[in-house]
Amino acid sequence: MPSSEKLGNFTEQDAPTYESVLQCMRCGFCLPTCPTFALTGRERSSPRGRVALARAVAEEKLEFTVAVKQEAFFCLDCRACTTACPSGVKAGEVMEVCRSQAQQQSPPGHMASSFRSFILQRMLPDPDRLEMSMLPARLYQKLGIQWLVRHAKVLKLGPSWMEKAEGMLPALDAPLRPQEPEITPARGEKRGRVGFFLGCVMTLMYPNVSRQTVRVLAAQGFEVVTPPSTKCCGAPHLSEGDRQTARELALFNLNLFMQTEVDFIVTDCAGCGAALKEYEELLESAAEHDRLVVFREKIRDISEFLAEVGLRTEAMQLINKTVTYHEPCHLCHAQGISRQPRELLKQIPGLELREMNEASWCCGSAATWGLKFSRESQQVLDRKLNNVSQTGAELLVTANPGCQLQLAWGVREAGMTQEVVHVMELLGAATLDG
Amino acid sequence: MLSRTTIDELQRVVGAANVASEPEDLLVLGYDSTPGIHHLPEVAVYPTSTEGVLAVLEIARRDGLPVTPRGSGTGLSGGSVPAKGGMVLCLNRMNKILEIDEENLTATVEAGVVTLDLFNATAKKGLFYPPDPGSQKISTLGGNVMEDAGGLRGLKYGVTRDYVMALQCVLPDGSLIQTGGKSVKDVAGYAFKDLLVGSEGTLGIITEITVKLIPPPRDKRTILAYFSDIRTAGEAVSKIIAAKIIPSTMEIMDKATINCVEDYVKIGLPRSMAALLLIEVDGHPAQVAEEAAAVEVILRQVRAAEIHIAKDAEQAAGLAAARRTALSALARMSPTTLLEDATVPRSMLAETFAEIERLTAKYKLNVGTFGHAGDGNLHPTVLCDERDLEEMHRAHAFYDELYAQVLAWGGTVSGEHGIGIAKKEYLARQIGAGGVAVMKRIKQAFDPNGILNPGKIFADERE
Repeated sequence: MPSSEKLGNFTEQDAPTYESVLQCMRCGFCLPTCPTFALTGRERSSPRGRVALARAVAEEKLEFTVAVKQEAFFCLDCRACTTACPSGVKAGEVMEVCRSQAQQQSPPGHMASSFRSFILQRMLPDPDRLEMSMLPARLYQKLGIQWLVRHAKVLKLGPSWMEKAEGMLPALDAPLRPQEPEITPARGEKRGRVGFFLGCVMTLMYPNVSRQTVRVLAAQGFEVVTPPSTKCCGAPHLSEGDRQTARELALFNLNLFMQTEVDFIVTDCAGCGAALKEYEELLESAAEHDRLVVFREKIRDISEFLAEVGLRTEAMQLINKTVTYHEPCHLCHAQGISRQPRELLKQIPGLELREMNEASWCCGSAATWGLKFSRESQQVLDRKLNNVSQTGAELLVTANPGCQLQLAWGVREAGMTQEVVHVMELLGAATLDG
Repeated sequence: MLSRTTIDELQRVVGAANVASEPEDLLVLGYDSTPGIHHLPEVAVYPTSTEGVLAVLEIARRDGLPVTPRGSGTGLSGGSVPAKGGMVLCLNRMNKILEIDEENLTATVEAGVVTLDLFNATAKKGLFYPPDPGSQKISTLGGNVMEDAGGLRGLKYGVTRDYVMALQCVLPDGSLIQTGGKSVKDVAGYAFKDLLVGSEGTLGIITEITVKLIPPPRDKRTILAYFSDIRTAGEAVSKIIAAKIIPSTMEIMDKATINCVEDYVKIGLPRSMAALLLIEVDGHPAQVAEEAAAVEVILRQVRAAEIHIAKDAEQAAGLAAARRTALSALARMSPTTLLEDATVPRSMLAETFAEIERLTAKYKLNVGTFGHAGDGNLHPTVLCDERDLEEMHRAHAFYDELYAQVLAWGGTVSGEHGIGIAKKEYLARQIGAGGVAVMKRIKQAFDPNGILNPGKIFADERE
């Protein structure tokens, strides 16, 4: 939301609009949906409170203080409040913009700042660098150092986030991007041509999930174009308040996919999908409106897409399992997609879907939130795992890599038996080759 | 300015984590859902026990610190806004359901329990707590009792007052009183309990509440009727009541409300209709069938444009949930939503709608009306922009004239939201100087130093 006129105590660049904060009539419908309010019972850590803080900054009743910055980053950006708000207030988006204000108004110290810009501006925008950086982690696992580290408990000596981050690493395979062909032909009767947006975390951490996504799309009759030069969608940058780099990445991806002749642009990462669908607002003054609208209309989450075009289920394999579904915030709240993944799961023969309580309550991952607030994240996770275990399901299904990392780690730490999988892994398993 | 010593003392009696004095915490505790009202407190305290409340009030009394109790801050008349600064006493961390007594059909809860949590807990035991204010997912029982909250089921089941059996209450003089009990009958002395219900936090701080529970209705049916003229809807309501049918719910939404709600819930509400009535009858299956049929006959008689029956409980619940979002959904239309709570004898409903239409045109305003039609309790809501002072002036003139008419018809200025800060003048008009004087004497008897929620219900002497 770049604005030309300075609003109150916000800086000119990337500030919330006055309308976006004035819209809140303080009914409090958001309160029972907010994980951080549930944790603290503290009004300022609720969506209503956060919007009121932003409004006070806009009305010059408050400086952009350290506490405002803290609340901007303590917000999970899970968007549950957006779903709950009858007045159409987007507290999560207001806080996301306030994160950018935080970087402008009270930048972190030199060390933190260099580290942050190294990750956000040097590593993430460059797929090659990212892939190189994962090599040590893979060697670390392959050479058995991970086993040694975990058993010797050496990470207990470092900061708590480091042990958690290490613990969350899934078994790593080689990144998918360099392996995946640019064009994967459709199988059977051709139904169309889609672009596949391969996200950074998917290619690096979950190459096998995205491999299945492309395989299933092809089996469903779609020719799949996976542009190898795709860059990070910009979601991590938005989340960290670096809207400038996010815009640069968005512009690159916009141009890349607009040059590619495809009917739809599909992603299997809820975080990427949500970000791609927000390019229209993000690039408002940086690209032509018409192109942004065309781009926006092509973006689909994989489950949204498959439910929309209809699954060809004739040759599907039986999977005799009970599953429960955890809704990623960036799918159900940011994109309003709740029904579709469930519909797909129900179409897999033999699969039994058991609903958990609070399926759309955050798992406590929320990009880097789970590492920055590891104690609070554990509390949010425990609530989720309790709901999971009450279903007695054998598999825990989700649709976003951040959730999958957090849940797989949580299930293991809690000594639970559920395997955590992406919807597409199940659809992949149910899809025959040939 | 509050002294550091006082804050230290407060922290000592309730724990450091339960006292907040950072400006950002105070700023967001200066409002409730009432538009345009904001006052900064000096400190916020979150007691976790009755003992904590006693200790905190002791300090407040000694220092002459105003104390404003607060639940979830969903009030609509400014009741929990700290009009004179001082302390906001947040009771939302006292949120334990202490007992559900299945032999006496009562539940005892701490003041900060959320209304819907109590409803769900009693439903699990096959019991029913009927009061269901629009904000039941958020509002606390303490707040409900203090404002005597109503809800969608008020028509048949009454309001919060009708369910309060006992209260535990801390008075400003430091005493702890128990009033009422689990006995069904109790005429021992003055009915303090009834005085405390609806007292808006001006007489005492409620810490525990015992409510009456009833068996849930065995069956229910939900009827949705559309109208091409809102006055016809008003006529339908009056006729249903006159036919001696008491539905559990009879809610109205006008065209503006229907459209805003539909924008949010997307369940296919009729955007082009002038009004809809959401009617629910419940009870014994035979009675439900009979009453539903009778309601349909009346709806046809008055020529409702369309009549629909909810196909299952899920659809019925969806409709009720949609209705609960009405006020917040209207807020989509404009930055500011000024809502009122006018209530008239039910025979005057059609005239009231006509009057609202006339005044809307006279003052050139955008108004959405919804409410508990069966109770004669309407919420005409002016959709405006608080930055436009001239428009705000017209909005207030609209309400002034509407209330004059409502009072002339024998109605009331507040059906369920309370007087708070927002409606002090209107109350004086309704009950007169004599009425206000008696209320002030009662206030004086409970709170001689005037520390409890000052500046509410009536103007105090120093104003």
